[in-house]
Amino acid sequence: MSYERHGSGHGGGGRRRRRDDYDHYDHHRRETQESPDHKLKAAIIKLGEVDAEQELPQLAAKLLSQEQSSIPAIAEGFRLAYALVYLRPTAEEENGSASIAKPPLGRLILNDFWKGFQAYLDKLAWRETRLCIHFFAHLTVTNLISPQSMLGLLQSFTAVLDDFGVSNGRAKRAARCAMEGLMRAGRVLKEHSATAVQAYNDSLRATKWLVHPLAYMHSPDIPVEHAEHADEILDCAVSALKTLDLSDFLDVSGIFPNQLEALSTETSDDAPIKKEEWPEYMLRLFDNDVTADPKTPAGYAVRAGLIDIIEIFEVNRKECARLLVEYPKWSVKGTFKPRPGSTAEASDHIPLPGRDWQLESTLIETILGAQFLLPESAAKPIYYTTLITELCKLSPQTVGPAVGKSIRKLYAYCANGLDAEVLRRFAEWFSVHMSNFGFQWVWKEWVPDLALPVHHPKRVFVHRALELEIRLSYYDRILKTLPQPFQEPSAGAMPDQAPGPTYEYDDPTAPHYDAAQSVLNQLRSRTKPDDALVHLDTLKNNLAETADIGEDPDTLIRSIAIQSLLHIGARSFSHFLNAVERYLVVLRALSGTLEAKVHVLELVANFWQRSRQMVGIVFDKLMQYQIVEPADVVGWVFAHSAEGLDWDLLRGAVDKANGRVVVARRRVATLRKEDDDAHARAKANSNGDVSDAAAMDVDAETMHDPQVTQAEDSPQLVTALKAYAALTREQKSTLARVLEGFVHTLHSSSDAARRVIAPGAWDGHTSWRDEEWVAWQNWMWYKHFCRAYSPYLRSFVTTLTVVSFASLETASDDGAVLMKRIWGMATGQE
Amino acid sequence: MASAVTPLDQPSNYKDSQARVDRQKQHGLLQKSTTLYIGNLSFYTTEEQIHDMFSKCANPEDGGGVKRIIMGLDRHTRTPCGFCFVEFYTHAEALASMRYISGTKLDERIIRCDLDLGYREGRQFGRGKSGGQVRDEHRQDYDPGRGGWGAQAQRLEIERRRQVEERYADAEQGAPIAAGGEEWKQLNAVPAEPTLKRGRSPEDEDESSRQRVRVDEDTGRM
Repeated sequence: MSYERHGSGHGGGGRRRRRDDYDHYDHHRRETQESPDHKLKAAIIKLGEVDAEQELPQLAAKLLSQEQSSIPAIAEGFRLAYALVYLRPTAEEENGSASIAKPPLGRLILNDFWKGFQAYLDKLAWRETRLCIHFFAHLTVTNLISPQSMLGLLQSFTAVLDDFGVSNGRAKRAARCAMEGLMRAGRVLKEHSATAVQAYNDSLRATKWLVHPLAYMHSPDIPVEHAEHADEILDCAVSALKTLDLSDFLDVSGIFPNQLEALSTETSDDAPIKKEEWPEYMLRLFDNDVTADPKTPAGYAVRAGLIDIIEIFEVNRKECARLLVEYPKWSVKGTFKPRPGSTAEASDHIPLPGRDWQLESTLIETILGAQFLLPESAAKPIYYTTLITELCKLSPQTVGPAVGKSIRKLYAYCANGLDAEVLRRFAEWFSVHMSNFGFQWVWKEWVPDLALPVHHPKRVFVHRALELEIRLSYYDRILKTLPQPFQEPSAGAMPDQAPGPTYEYDDPTAPHYDAAQSVLNQLRSRTKPDDALVHLDTLKNNLAETADIGEDPDTLIRSIAIQSLLHIGARSFSHFLNAVERYLVVLRALSGTLEAKVHVLELVANFWQRSRQMVGIVFDKLMQYQIVEPADVVGWVFAHSAEGLDWDLLRGAVDKANGRVVVARRRVATLRKEDDDAHARAKANSNGDVSDAAAMDVDAETMHDPQVTQAEDSPQLVTALKAYAALTREQKSTLARVLEGFVHTLHSSSDAARRVIAPGAWDGHTSWRDEEWVAWQNWMWYKHFCRAYSPYLRSFVTTLTVVSFASLETASDDGAVLMKRIWGMATGQE
Repeated sequence: MASAVTPLDQPSNYKDSQARVDRQKQHGLLQKSTTLYIGNLSFYTTEEQIHDMFSKCANPEDGGGVKRIIMGLDRHTRTPCGFCFVEFYTHAEALASMRYISGTKLDERIIRCDLDLGYREGRQFGRGKSGGQVRDEHRQDYDPGRGGWGAQAQRLEIERRRQVEERYADAEQGAPIAAGGEEWKQLNAVPAEPTLKRGRSPEDEDESSRQRVRVDEDTGRM
């Protein structure tokens, strides 16, 4: 919308009619842009981009001349300015803030800053709180804040760790606040130690195993050889702080360029499902002399800083990439190697011992570490993918090689216990990345791995990556990018033809060809649904009279009708939607029973056997149109898990069941509020007394009787509550179905599942065959299911334990013990 | 933080030039829009490719997902002409697409996303004189992904595009377009008799009439 154009003579003629709206709009915009407060904020923020030493005295004078009414703006300006954490040579800025922070103005600014800090605390905006603490810590070092009050502040954060029943998410964040404050101000707060944090950290052993990206199944510990491949954030912070403590915090000024740091104003969403309750493991891809070692103080500062930038600037990946590439400018000289080719940088480069890291490798490793965080990344995985794309565009010569090395390392990890979910995200990143860079990858070097078993994780990755590349491009294009050995259909890397439908009745010699043709023609000519149903009925009766159809006429007619419907919908996604919507009545009639629904799914999977993407799309929409239920899809997935569990389909079904509850809960909340408002108005009208209505009860376990609420709920609210209750029941049964599926797959039916978790089994993994690898991956999917859906599982823990684990209750074999242990960890009982 | 950099998910100066809603109202609609206009597509890009890319921004566990895709077609030839609409169930998903996908490649072209007021009948078709998009009338360069030379030269390539053409040959102007499936509703027991139409429950009535009222308010001036 070209708001700006107006005002320069474009407003005449036919547009006059709408002038009022335009004027109102433009006026509003100009006002917000040019208010004195806004200018002040902009000036403070801009400080990072200019030569601070020159500009500071002017700005300080300007700030000092302001009336008191501007103080909130100044404080907010500083808060925002520090959000550009790494944009400034901040030593000057600190001097600057010191120079303007003279009484009385300085006190007022600090007071306002403090108010902001409290607001962040109240909002539980942890990142903002933590960044505020960085700022306070720097001010403590410059004596603007007394060490005593800073110490008190930090102690109030470590006290959180001793709270009874504190959640891991809360404890983790409080610990980071205290430790990162200490790292910066430790020099003056020496007597305070991090023992509280360490004790808490030591208590997390079990949950750490659950989210480690490379862990074995047979041992509750993270194996020593994996320890160096991933670092957990609290581990790192504790270790970095210990190092600083030993050196009496003398190194601090060599780590933090006295920067005053970031704040943001975003609020978190109100989702009632909390998902941040886990330790955070960052996968390592490079050695400590190549990329920042987060266990050292300087390395921790770099890592934590980069993660903050990546999270804060998520709103603009292009700006984020630019800031990341410029990061060395704002860190202590010698932390990173000079840019290759920059002679000016190289000539005055003095590497710092233990640092001198490679920027691009550090960036890619940090971004991928965040992307592969378990159970889920902070932002959508696609964000990190396109952030890397932007980095590559900014500096292809330096970022490209770092990406290539990372891919090779991750590929090597595949054979070394890499978590199945990380492998899945790796393939997704790989395919989208390649799609942005001409699908150029050196497949040649992986040719020898084609000899591995089909279900070996390396082959699973290759197959998956190519499948995803085809989806983003097309079969012939991808085939051309591959060396001959990969092109052979027998290699199992590429299918023998492009993805497409398989219509059983295509061949004129196929049984029931004529019957199928008649149905197909009817659907093609857009016969009315009711007429189509009549035709199907007649056809069924005719077929039933034929003696040798060899199957149940209902099954046969379903097969013909569903396949024909899919056939007319096979041209495109929207053709499919049109076909479904036009013949919804027919679909419902054909899928009335449980067996019928299972059969429909079966027919879809067969029809689209050469396109896993279409199976996913059709299953999803069949659930959306309520032809099948999520639990039906779950049942189908487990019934077809012999060749490996299809996690995408399983996740699609579970997400659908959970998503419906979210939508229903939102509707109840909205209607409840409308209702309450109406009641309050009515009451106010009758006796002038306004009272609060009862709070909505959304506890899942107690949802069985939703009517025990207010007596006079509106009919809409009653309906919404009924829907909510029904969907919550459906959600519970879907989750139970998944758990039963896993119990059956891993415990009751598979020998291999027992073998791969036996002590020492992993040592023989080089001779594992497909059977063992499938079982291994199924275990990982069970583990991932438990941790990814842990918040949902927790709300039904009693029921699910009784219903789904009944057969394991008394079992004490290794499989049962491991299943119960993972369940216990994920639901917080262990 | 939004104050320090410009977020990528803001409405751009793209607009539906034929929308009959005033600017403020448009602004309000865009604030909760679930629809994206996607531009600079190759004429050969399929809905499945688009679905795959945009489902990476979907929030299914929040009740979201790709609701439907409407491929932009040449008015005369009924062939894709380089744009489409992607509709999600939630606004957040549309914003995520703006942040993460707009400006990246799909089918080896850099695609552009813009928040849209929402699909209305007729917008499926190109508005250029030749039937395609207006921009292709003015295009001077040779663009193999968009039918070669501008509008006139396209005709020469018709044979090459046979498969693409046939796909949408059945598209009718004014024909209803699938909605992609609405939110979950309480169904009555599914009738066993295949010939029986599903009876409507009173809840359905409530819901749909409520929805209709809301839609009318939103689009009343469109």
